[in-house]
Amino acid sequence: MTEPTWGLWGTWEETEQHLGKVVGQSVGPDPVERGSIRRWLEPKEFACDIHTDSDAAKAAGHENLVAPASMVFTYGIAPYWSPGDKPAKIDDEPTQIQIPVIFDVPAPCDKSFATSIEVEFFEPLYPGDVVTCTSKLVDIKHKELRVGKGAFLRQEDTYTKQTGEVVAISYLDIFRFVAPAQEEES
Amino acid sequence: MNPAADIQLASVSVGDELPAIAIPITLQRLVMEAGANRDLSLIHHDAGVARATGAPDAFANTYFLMGMFERLMRDWAGPSARIRKIGPLRMMVFNAVGDTVFFKGLVESIDEAAGTISLDMWVESDRGKTVTAKAILELRA
Repeated sequence: MTEPTWGLWGTWEETEQHLGKVVGQSVGPDPVERGSIRRWLEPKEFACDIHTDSDAAKAAGHENLVAPASMVFTYGIAPYWSPGDKPAKIDDEPTQIQIPVIFDVPAPCDKSFATSIEVEFFEPLYPGDVVTCTSKLVDIKHKELRVGKGAFLRQEDTYTKQTGEVVAISYLDIFRFVAPAQEEES
Repeated sequence: MNPAADIQLASVSVGDELPAIAIPITLQRLVMEAGANRDLSLIHHDAGVARATGAPDAFANTYFLMGMFERLMRDWAGPSARIRKIGPLRMMVFNAVGDTVFFKGLVESIDEAAGTISLDMWVESDRGKTVTAKAILELRA
């Protein structure tokens, strides 16, 4: 499943220099609150009172209404625009979701796709919580697939809340590559 | 479905099936989803960009799939269940505009000491099995 991403260009030696290091950090701009939860539930036709009603959530053992566990990703995404950013122009490249192992780690690749993700959940998210996502490059596995030659880059994302408690840790596998024809030309 | 009752660990058996969820993938749903989950990559709401990458049309993003698996578990297990892990979640085939996709799952194993169960879940459409995912749920004893 190819994503039309460009990524940061560089050598495999430069990629290796990032192994085991923090390659990105983002702070979600909005605290957890009922409105964003409702809008997240809506397209999934997801009805569950613990996410919208504090009494129902307390009856289920929570201290307040609780965000869906997998909403942690959303609350950790940096804003696409903030006051002070330069105004957009019509010919600008569209802004994509930030994935540090694509956009902040150099590699001799200009294409990529996600193949797998896993996430373990710890502390729940309650209204008022603010999420920070810290990303590390934790593995590089060179591989040649049908789509081209490249490497699987594994990104470890640790999601914490303002108290420092860990909300979730996820592992995202991204295959970065160049298509065979491009590789022959280079 | 709003789960009113909790599944008890003692009442669960290996092989139990979770009630399947059918959901049509429309462009409107993908746009609502992108706005709500903040993955604004063009492939998930722009048919032209998606087709240029080999997809048949704009297609559902990872966060939608994660969230739908959470709904599949929550609808079945009830409000007190705790979702401990989702994954590995593997995306094999696009879930694109025009597809009706079915989220399904079953109980794979039970760990009574830990109070948890492992689930084997997947997504099906006319394109076949499009996504697979494992999960660990903690249930009330």
